[in-house]
Amino acid sequence: MKNLMRRFAPDQIRELVLLVLIAVILLFFNSQIENYFNARFFNRVSASVSIVGVLAIAQTLVFLTRNYDLSIGSIVGFTAFFVGQYLVAHNDMHPVLVVLMAIGMGALMGSVNGLFVAYGRIPSIIVTLGTLALYRTILVEFSNAQTILTAKLPDWIVDMPRLNIFSVGDLDFRFMVGVMLLVVIVFQLVFRYLPYGRRLYAIGSNPDAARMAGFPAQRIVFTAYILCGALSGLAGFMFLSRFGNVTVVAGQGLEISSIAAVVVGGVSNNGGSGSAIGALMGAIIIDLIENSLIRWPVISEFWRDSILGILILLAVASDTLVMSRLRNMWARSELQLTAVHAEKQDK
Amino acid sequence: MNKNSVPVLEMRHISKQFDMTQALDDVTFSLHPGEIHALVGENGAGKSTLIKIMTGVYRPDQGEILLNGNHIQIHNSLDAQKHGIAAIYQEPMTFPDLNVAENIFISHEDRGSVVNWNKMVTDAEKILDQLGVKLNPRAQARGLTLAAQQAVEIAKAISLNVQVLIMDEPTASLSVHEVSQLFKLARSLRDKGVAVLFIGHRLEEVLEIADRVTVLRDGKLISSAHRAEVTVDTIIRDMVGRNVEEFFNKKTVEKGDLLVSVRNLGRENIFQNVNFDVHRGEILGFAGLIGSRRTDVGLALFGIEPADSGEIVFEGKSRKIGSPQEALSLGIAYATEDRRQLGLTMPMSIASNITLPTLKKYLTKLGLIRQNEEAATAEEYRKKLELRAPSVFSAVENLSGGNQQKVMLSKWLNANPKLLILDEPTRGIDIGAKVEVHHIVNELAAQGLGVILISSDLPEVLGMSDRILVMREGRQMAIFDRAEATEEKIMTAAMGQQREEVPA
Repeated sequence: MKNLMRRFAPDQIRELVLLVLIAVILLFFNSQIENYFNARFFNRVSASVSIVGVLAIAQTLVFLTRNYDLSIGSIVGFTAFFVGQYLVAHNDMHPVLVVLMAIGMGALMGSVNGLFVAYGRIPSIIVTLGTLALYRTILVEFSNAQTILTAKLPDWIVDMPRLNIFSVGDLDFRFMVGVMLLVVIVFQLVFRYLPYGRRLYAIGSNPDAARMAGFPAQRIVFTAYILCGALSGLAGFMFLSRFGNVTVVAGQGLEISSIAAVVVGGVSNNGGSGSAIGALMGAIIIDLIENSLIRWPVISEFWRDSILGILILLAVASDTLVMSRLRNMWARSELQLTAVHAEKQDK
Repeated sequence: MNKNSVPVLEMRHISKQFDMTQALDDVTFSLHPGEIHALVGENGAGKSTLIKIMTGVYRPDQGEILLNGNHIQIHNSLDAQKHGIAAIYQEPMTFPDLNVAENIFISHEDRGSVVNWNKMVTDAEKILDQLGVKLNPRAQARGLTLAAQQAVEIAKAISLNVQVLIMDEPTASLSVHEVSQLFKLARSLRDKGVAVLFIGHRLEEVLEIADRVTVLRDGKLISSAHRAEVTVDTIIRDMVGRNVEEFFNKKTVEKGDLLVSVRNLGRENIFQNVNFDVHRGEILGFAGLIGSRRTDVGLALFGIEPADSGEIVFEGKSRKIGSPQEALSLGIAYATEDRRQLGLTMPMSIASNITLPTLKKYLTKLGLIRQNEEAATAEEYRKKLELRAPSVFSAVENLSGGNQQKVMLSKWLNANPKLLILDEPTRGIDIGAKVEVHHIVNELAAQGLGVILISSDLPEVLGMSDRILVMREGRQMAIFDRAEATEEKIMTAAMGQQREEVPA
């Protein structure tokens, strides 16, 4: 037991549990639905996870600091629409510039959130609820009720979702999944190995202490919002590429998906704990369940909507009931180990 | 300590004012490398303000700060840290989700752009070894004891090359063994040439650890002397030796019947074995320092945090008081020290505030509020207590502190209490209003109310009370009669210098 505890931290156990959960979900629906797991299903889920996964990382950035971003869905819709509109008018724009434009647009909107939360000290739930409505309103106002049409977009962006990196049998690992995985890996490393990442955990872990600790806590929260916005902008670009036809309601509800993903993935809403890998697994679980339920006639369509809510509640409850106990158990056992160690030294 | 050395930190003619209060008044004070300097004073003497100026939380109104002989400005905690000034507090400021090594190095800007976990752990081990602290650098801070968390913060300060380490009541929550460990740490820091500023309420600890003792009182520096030149008596004298400027118009009232009798009252881990009687017409003062748990006894009597041992005999009957409703129905009222948060509903009118606990009396059969009766009641108290407000419908938040206090008194008096518990009734209100409140309380006692007066203001307790109960860390230290009570005796008891067994 002791050895086991030394090998795995509570959060790693949580990631293992999530992995098992993914397997259980797959096995369960496989027994319920004929021809459940096929190439088409895999591609559908992976395309959807690509976007929600990026948004889950965005949400994780601010969650770690004990904040929220409810405006994510609006940022996705905003960038998808206006980047699309610009692209329709300028079909020859270089793809790299298009991506940078989307990221920059998102970062700008994120910086507005960050400004109010970090420097204005306004609760993030209020700020981002406000900008959720604000960004959406601007989108509706300046869109002239138009729709971006796939037909008017350049070919490269329309073809991108089907761009394949490699295949295993029928299963395609597509470019967008690669982008998402790259984001996850980069931020997993940032969270673990950059002082910036560690300070995100510190701020969420004890905001009062962060204020006294002598590192620029406000600036770190501010940049977390900028990064969150930038990633949402990237997701907006991916959204445009995936769907092509973009209306003014694009991205609505993605804020809930992203929150569900991070919470299920073990990023604590009290800040201070969670990982990029966990957030990704949360996103996978959510998309898997959503896409599977569509094909499972036992549950009515109306109940499907409540699944996200139930998942969020279950995840938060398990976090408070199970994870906090596990963490305390680990902390105590580490102390015991230290004591034993110290005694040996004394002898 | 080398007296000729240049002080590492020098505060010259520092003054700081908050609203009406002169928190610091022309304080000049210096810290030398390699000394442990104790700062003592009553609650509100200005210790915290001085520390907060050193750590950049507040800016002084006047005065200058010198570090190693050079003028500096401290704008925020980052500045303080850059100047080598660090503080540890009673409440540790660690990050529970990070491990010990991370906590030590979280503020470092010079450890490269990538976290090297192995190096961080070995560096942390080195610092902890140097301090003689046995902690696993990989352990999460979450499970550490308070003492261990303080050790982590000290290690952090060391890692930042601290020149001045402020310890703000670090021993308040520690066991005896942990205190001696902490003192060992403090001494090893001193021997390394760090200036340690130690703030403490326990004088025996101060005398044990300090090389130099500075006393603040009412924002002024009273004395600063070498350890050999001071004794407990001189420190207490310096702490309390002020003139009683306020005039207490104490009426001598014939002691009435026994109203409440408290025997061996206790609440686990909060206070134990509290014994006292209150008669009708009597004012019983509760004195003690912060953390003496005076307020908790009041809260137990009012049923907010019920006692779990002992007995309360109210008007001859043993009572269990489990909620404020029960307390109120017996005739016990409690006016809280925290007017703003707990006592009054700020945006509501004077009248609504006064009738809040007794609203049932103002309802029609349909359950509607009879507003004119409410107003009439409020009007009555406005006259009786000389409440200065445009009308009884004015919002309480627009009133001065003194008038808010009167609204709170009205509110509880309207419940016709037999026992009135007043917690810091004059904190934060100006002298004139204070005298008025004292006058009202004296009147109430003269009318036969029993009053428990909880106050940190010693002259107030001395001037108002018939008897004074002194507490320290949840224990009853003494009860003094009005005639025998002096500030010195009360402070001595509150500091735990002696313990008198009192037969209630």
